[in-house]
Amino acid sequence: MRDDRLEAKREAATLAEHAAAARALAERLGLEPYPVRYWVVDHDEMNELIAYEGFQRRYPHWRWGMNYERQRQTDRHGLGKAFEIVNNDDPAHAFLQESNTTADQKAVITHVEAHADFFANNRWFGLYADRGADGPNAAARLERNADRLSAIADRPDVDRDAVERLIDAVSSLSDTIDQHSPVDAARGAEGDGPGRPSDSDASPADSAAELRARIAELDLSEAVRRDVFDEEWLAGQEGDAEPDEPRPDVLAFLRDHGKRYDADSGKAVDREPWETTVIDAVREEAYYFAGQKSTKVMNEGWATYWESVMMGGEGFAGPDEFLTYADHMARVLGSPGLNPYKLGFELWTHLELRAARRDVIDRLLRVEGVTPDTFHTRIDLDRVAEALAPHPAIAGAGPATLDDLAALAAAGDPRVDSEAVDRALSAREGDLDPDDAPDIERHPWTLLTYEGLAERHYVLSRPEHRGALRSVSRATLAERARYMFDVDRYPTVEAALADVDRTAGWERMFAVRESHNDVTFLDEFLTDEFVREGNYFTYEYSRAGEEFRVASVDADDVRRKLLLRFTNFGKPTIVALDGNFRNRGELLLGHRYNGVALDEEQAKATLERVFELWGRPVNLATIRTEYAEEEVRRAKRRGREPTGTEAGVRFRYDGEAASEHALADDLVALIAADDVDYDTKPDEWLA
Amino acid sequence: MGLVEDRERFREVGEDRREDLSAFITHGDLGGSAPDRIRIPIKVVDLPAFEYDRRDAGGVGQGRGGQPQPGQPVDPQPGDGDGSEDGDGDGDPGEEGGDHEYYEMDPEEFAQELDEELGLELEPKGKRVIEEVEGDFTDTARAGPKGTLDLDEFFKRGLKRHLATDFDGEYVREGLFVAGADVDDVFAWARGKRIPVSRAWIADAATEVEAEIGGPVAAADRWASFAALESVIDHEPVAVRIRRDGLDGVPFRREDERFRHPEVIEKRERNVVVVNVRDASGSMRETKRELVERVFTPMDWYLTGKYDAAEFRYVVHDAEAWEVDRSDFFGVQSGGGTRISSAYALVAEILEEYPFDEWNRYVFAAGDSENAGNDTTEGVIPMMESIEANLHAYVETQPGGSAPNARHADEVERALGDVDNVAVARVAGPEDVTDAIYRVLSTEDGPDGGERR
Repeated sequence: MRDDRLEAKREAATLAEHAAAARALAERLGLEPYPVRYWVVDHDEMNELIAYEGFQRRYPHWRWGMNYERQRQTDRHGLGKAFEIVNNDDPAHAFLQESNTTADQKAVITHVEAHADFFANNRWFGLYADRGADGPNAAARLERNADRLSAIADRPDVDRDAVERLIDAVSSLSDTIDQHSPVDAARGAEGDGPGRPSDSDASPADSAAELRARIAELDLSEAVRRDVFDEEWLAGQEGDAEPDEPRPDVLAFLRDHGKRYDADSGKAVDREPWETTVIDAVREEAYYFAGQKSTKVMNEGWATYWESVMMGGEGFAGPDEFLTYADHMARVLGSPGLNPYKLGFELWTHLELRAARRDVIDRLLRVEGVTPDTFHTRIDLDRVAEALAPHPAIAGAGPATLDDLAALAAAGDPRVDSEAVDRALSAREGDLDPDDAPDIERHPWTLLTYEGLAERHYVLSRPEHRGALRSVSRATLAERARYMFDVDRYPTVEAALADVDRTAGWERMFAVRESHNDVTFLDEFLTDEFVREGNYFTYEYSRAGEEFRVASVDADDVRRKLLLRFTNFGKPTIVALDGNFRNRGELLLGHRYNGVALDEEQAKATLERVFELWGRPVNLATIRTEYAEEEVRRAKRRGREPTGTEAGVRFRYDGEAASEHALADDLVALIAADDVDYDTKPDEWLA
Repeated sequence: MGLVEDRERFREVGEDRREDLSAFITHGDLGGSAPDRIRIPIKVVDLPAFEYDRRDAGGVGQGRGGQPQPGQPVDPQPGDGDGSEDGDGDGDPGEEGGDHEYYEMDPEEFAQELDEELGLELEPKGKRVIEEVEGDFTDTARAGPKGTLDLDEFFKRGLKRHLATDFDGEYVREGLFVAGADVDDVFAWARGKRIPVSRAWIADAATEVEAEIGGPVAAADRWASFAALESVIDHEPVAVRIRRDGLDGVPFRREDERFRHPEVIEKRERNVVVVNVRDASGSMRETKRELVERVFTPMDWYLTGKYDAAEFRYVVHDAEAWEVDRSDFFGVQSGGGTRISSAYALVAEILEEYPFDEWNRYVFAAGDSENAGNDTTEGVIPMMESIEANLHAYVETQPGGSAPNARHADEVERALGDVDNVAVARVAGPEDVTDAIYRVLSTEDGPDGGERR
């Protein structure tokens, strides 16, 4: 054991140096990450962390055991290598596996720095993070939940299985939250604070919940709590359970108005306070993970992009490590299925390319005599490409170009870090101890500023994107020209190019990473060009063929289909419609029908979990498409798809049996959305 | 720790205590569903959630090599055991799916699974002798319960030590009185006479002598030379002294302790040597080489899992044969012609290191069945008959069926097809791999391994 720790320490010492260098580079590239604490762990500790979704402690639940078993098998059989775990927190905590190669560790560190930047700057993470002065404080919160819930499970008066069952039930609904709002929107912020929505917004139900939360915060013993704040008193503080508006945060609604079914009396009884604590804890964590789930493509793509700039572009991987790194990258990007790393990486690159191209086009269109029609004939794009290539001293920054850089620095060039150049020169002349000078052999980036690095990595000068200007369509040009005022004309192409902003691509990326989530990201940046070049397509199930078939290669279709996959975590939207359905205290949930039906088996099973949180009969309104047998037979014979009819249906579960009922028309109208269509089937399948 | 408990709870999911969850248990496959991957069954419990109907939802795919045509079936069909599909949408950044290309499985588990999968039941044979406990308390070890301490042995060892380290101090001391001899000279002299004395001891003695005579030892000149000394005084052997003075103290040491323990009874270790032989001639192009790898790798794994100890040797040949490392084995390609008997000659040589009465021997050869002239009948077949082995296998890799001049497999099969320890298998494509492995591994001669027809 002691030996292990020694090894980890030795590893940690070498890694600390890399981490510091990576941080310096990341900041120079314009990233603003949370501070990152790196931990070196052995593979078993790594497996545990993966089991706990990146944290050291979680509340007791069999799911972590399952994760661990799976991860251990994966690890043991070498089926997947765990490289890194980083959690969204300020400071972020990242875990490195000590047995990995230095090349892998460096790749992980650069990747992690970019993730930490994303955590710190993305608005959707902010939903959870902006909770007062102490930031997200996630590890501490999760740890506190772990403490609370294990204390509850250990209580002699509480049945441990009941706690587990309750966690199961809440977990089943962990995606039925209002992911677009902060976790505290439905109740008061813990520990008070100005971050809380103003009282006027809070519905009565919310304030009751807040009350409960505050009482929970007081940490009173159960006896006192029951005496002073008994359920009757609390009930008096609550409003009624009929939301005026459908409530997307179903979990909060159940927490505030749900009861527990008591098998002995056959009645719904008020929950024990510990039950509310459990529901609250699991719900809060669902909000924490919502930020990650809703930005998976962006976040992984972002980290992969900057990892490649740092490791490959800036030589953070030493020459001897580069192959290992390239192999690592190829595996990350090559893993099958819809791969968020790859999709995200490609989208970010595409976005950068388009922003840079737009900047160049805007300038070229302002050259005297250039119009969308004459663009391709009047401008020699080969010469443009040459002119856009980075300055040789910038591109090859390092010991060899030090004198050239010094000359640029003397002229006040903003692309060069004149102080670093000065120190490097002094070291070369022997006036400065080399230990105090930047190591420009290994870290040439220290000689350049953000502007310099932007020029060095300018997207339009990368070989694979050289043709990007040539392929721009006349329609695109015309559209750009339409919004251009007839001012600031350039006399020559050269003059226009001199003004090109090499940071345009990165600046756009920074802006997008602040405000977007996966849904808006895909919606806005999944262009026709992207779909065409990536060979993306949609598929649909053919009932006649009894198999999935390629349905469309149209960019709009692909985008819509992808959005279905990412909107609301790719899950159907379920809302609480009525807490006193049919005036019998039954719960009515509604599936906001967007043309895609529910998985009925799962929906019914989930409804049984909802019952555990409501205590009285529960209902779910949805719409499904029904196909008459005769119609299916006929369609098959004729080789076409059968036509079905949409019908409203209500599933009900009363604690013992499930039943199906027709859905009243007004409810059908309430849950059906009319402006969304995710069906991308062509009118006629090709034979 | 918490996780230990969580794992315990997980094990109980679906059992009595949490029987309510048994409906949600699936036994998924780890490592995806492609046929060339090894599957590892795992228990997965998916809590129900509100989800879209998979069929109704459809999805997005990415075409490989061009945009697909609407209407064509999606290949592979989505959703069949695709673990990487990220069905629960959980968002751990940093968990990585990729790396499925390596057979990195516990060989024993692999062997077990292959047994189940193919209905094989290969019982490994014990050959080389290894130790195993049980018997009379006649052997000794350095550690054990006090009661089993072997006192005789203990005393003997102590005595031996005594004899080995004791010496006639007076005699050595006398050396210091040789004219002109200093400490080093005396030390060299004593050592030359095999007296187990240390230089430090002599140095101490010299100090005493100097005090005695009041001058440097070099000045003491009782004897003119060592020879003069030796002619007068005899070195008294220790044994003589002990006999005269008796044994005042035997230096007992912990390291002399020997404890009796039960005699070791021999047990046979089940060990195996596998010689993999591959044709590396010009006609063995990449697809053929890959087929060889697909067949050989699992077989090697299987045998590794079945035996206590497995050794692998790799031989490639064209018209000549040479031995290579595993890392080179599947990749090597040479330009030359083919003479398969050259490989068997080398195999015979290699196997001399592994006597057949101690080792289980397997010879797996693969190639495209092309061979020089009548090398098969005149060279290879006699050697296959003479080389003793549990199994000789020839795997013909001929994508797209056999070629007219490729007759090696046929000829071997004709000549030795009914011999118990010879197997011939043909592989035309990846889909034949499993059959070939089964054919090879299910062929083996009798349980004693030795009998031949």
